[in-house]
Amino acid sequence: MALLEVRNLVKTFGTKTVLDGVTFDLEEGQTKVIMGPSGCGKSTLLRCLNRLEEPTSGSVRFDGKEMTAPTADVRALRQLIGFVFQNFALYRHLTVLDNVTLALRQLKKMPAALAEERALHELARMDMAEKRDAYPASLSGGQSQRVAIARALAMEPRVLFFDEPTSALDPVMAREVVTLINRLYLENVTILCVTHDLYLAQYISDSIIFLDQGKVRAEDKAENLLSGHADPVIASFFGRKS
Amino acid sequence: MGGNFPALLVQLQADLPSLISALGETVLLSVIITINGLIGGLLVFYLTLSNSGVVRKIINGYISIFIGTPLIVFLFLLYYGLPTIGIRLSPFVIAVFGFFLNVSAYNARFLVTAYKGLLPTELEAAKAQGFSRGQIFRLVTAPQVLRLAAPALASQAIQNTKDSSIVFLIQYTEFFAGMQEIAMRSFLFFETYFVTALVYLLLVSVIVLAMRRLERRFTIPGLS
Amino acid sequence: MSFAQILQSLVAGLGYTVLVTLLCAATALVVALAIIAARRLGGKAAGNALDALVYVLRGIPVLVLLFMVFFGLPALGLDIPPLAAMMLSLGAVSGAYLSEIFRGSLQAVSQAEILAAQASGFTPFQSFRLIELPQMIRLSVPGMVNELTSVMKYSPFAYTVGIPEITKQAMALTSTTMQSLQIYTAVGLLYFGLYRAILLAVAYVERHFAIPGFAEE
Repeated sequence: MALLEVRNLVKTFGTKTVLDGVTFDLEEGQTKVIMGPSGCGKSTLLRCLNRLEEPTSGSVRFDGKEMTAPTADVRALRQLIGFVFQNFALYRHLTVLDNVTLALRQLKKMPAALAEERALHELARMDMAEKRDAYPASLSGGQSQRVAIARALAMEPRVLFFDEPTSALDPVMAREVVTLINRLYLENVTILCVTHDLYLAQYISDSIIFLDQGKVRAEDKAENLLSGHADPVIASFFGRKS
Repeated sequence: MGGNFPALLVQLQADLPSLISALGETVLLSVIITINGLIGGLLVFYLTLSNSGVVRKIINGYISIFIGTPLIVFLFLLYYGLPTIGIRLSPFVIAVFGFFLNVSAYNARFLVTAYKGLLPTELEAAKAQGFSRGQIFRLVTAPQVLRLAAPALASQAIQNTKDSSIVFLIQYTEFFAGMQEIAMRSFLFFETYFVTALVYLLLVSVIVLAMRRLERRFTIPGLS
Repeated sequence: MSFAQILQSLVAGLGYTVLVTLLCAATALVVALAIIAARRLGGKAAGNALDALVYVLRGIPVLVLLFMVFFGLPALGLDIPPLAAMMLSLGAVSGAYLSEIFRGSLQAVSQAEILAAQASGFTPFQSFRLIELPQMIRLSVPGMVNELTSVMKYSPFAYTVGIPEITKQAMALTSTTMQSLQIYTAVGLLYFGLYRAILLAVAYVERHFAIPGFAEE
């Protein structure tokens, strides 16, 4: 049984079908990247998986539990999914340290000292421990994203979702963040990553899910997708990109 | 200025104990109104975020009514109107209740405006972390919105202190009522009101200074 | 007395309420414009003096100032008619608040445009009148609406100096009918109607003076 099993996921906004029967699996320890043209439904897919958006139909099984069931404890399941946003989404009124400890203290009911220890460990992993007392407004984009990743990791999630983690960053900062994601990849953290970043897709993935018009058009290893694919849509997408 | 301030001074000295207690009433009333108004404002603001369209409609109607009508009319309604159906409340209770509904509506509107300055992804991040609606409100929305609305809430606190002077119109003996009495007795109208104005200015200045201290303590870079 | 009759007798005071509101609002506008112009064109000393004036006006309860003007000044041999007393108290206080709204909006006017005006050879006063003022007014609309509403809501103080506006009418009625609950409910409704009318009027005016691409949210 895969950690995450997505079956026939459909999402419509009014008359517009954004996800049109998406099916895929994510195994424990695997890293998959979701790519595709703008508006293909990548971000919506990610947000449907932890029900930030309500899927219209289909099923999402996470760790053997039906995420879309009416009885599902969505909040408990969300705690097992670390979510990293494009725009970092750090809590502006909290210091770096408090951003990381908030969920530990409030949701895991961890004693403050223990939460702090855990948070500092994760911040150190992201090379951000020295900024523990800074407020988000004083951080660069790259630093913010590293804190956001530390915040997600501190909860010891079963999987990390990345929603375009480098899109809001300039190339140098993006590289910094990619390096850290690579570190997680090498440690076999389970990752599902929506991105436009070819470097991320090529080197930090076990396979790429190519999404087009709400459907999985192909799922394959990077080397098979990236160079001269038989499907003209995929070939032209990567051809244009590289 | 042709005023006879020395004569007033004699008068004020004679009435000092009662004036001090009247000033105490004004301060007490202002503090109660301000604290109640903050609590009420947060509560009303929380209700504006309700999922239920009916609740939102009722709350918005309430806010609009209290922002659109004079407070003194509402106080008169309670003070002169309620006894005709057999309900007699003391001026103090009427003042506290009337100001509570009025100030809560204003503060809620300030908080609603500040809420528009929040970043939607930040609230979404809290949701994605597994926080409940109540937790998100308590841990993210409220602390941010209160900071963003701080200048407006502070000037409302100043407004409360000044507006508390109108309760003398419903026969509540706070500071202005006390001074009013002195004016009537001494005929030193200008001098008395002049000193009254000075005292309110002083009270307001105390609040202004206190707010500055609070601001220094609670300001967070990037949130104002 | 039926509710309709009550409303009818109160409406007699509506004209005075509107008059008091408009006169005080007009006073506020003049005071605020004078303050902002003096601030913009005067020196540093003028600025400090105006800061002090605005601070004082914003720190005194309207009712206290009204009593000082209406009951206090005659004792010094200076008789002030009721309407003028309202303008000198409520109007002046509101003007101080309005000048702060203007000040905020003025800071939002683009420096490049002011520089451009200087470069074209406008005097500071011309630049203020032709470039800064029109933009400042448009940016201030939401604040001006709040201030106008605020003036309307303080207008019942006029009853304390004997102006026969709505609240004064209500007091006269209550003394003869004992129907205070209905009367003050009707009073509240009238003021609320006035408030909605102000909002409608402002929306209408705003549509007609809107400039495409300027101050749109």
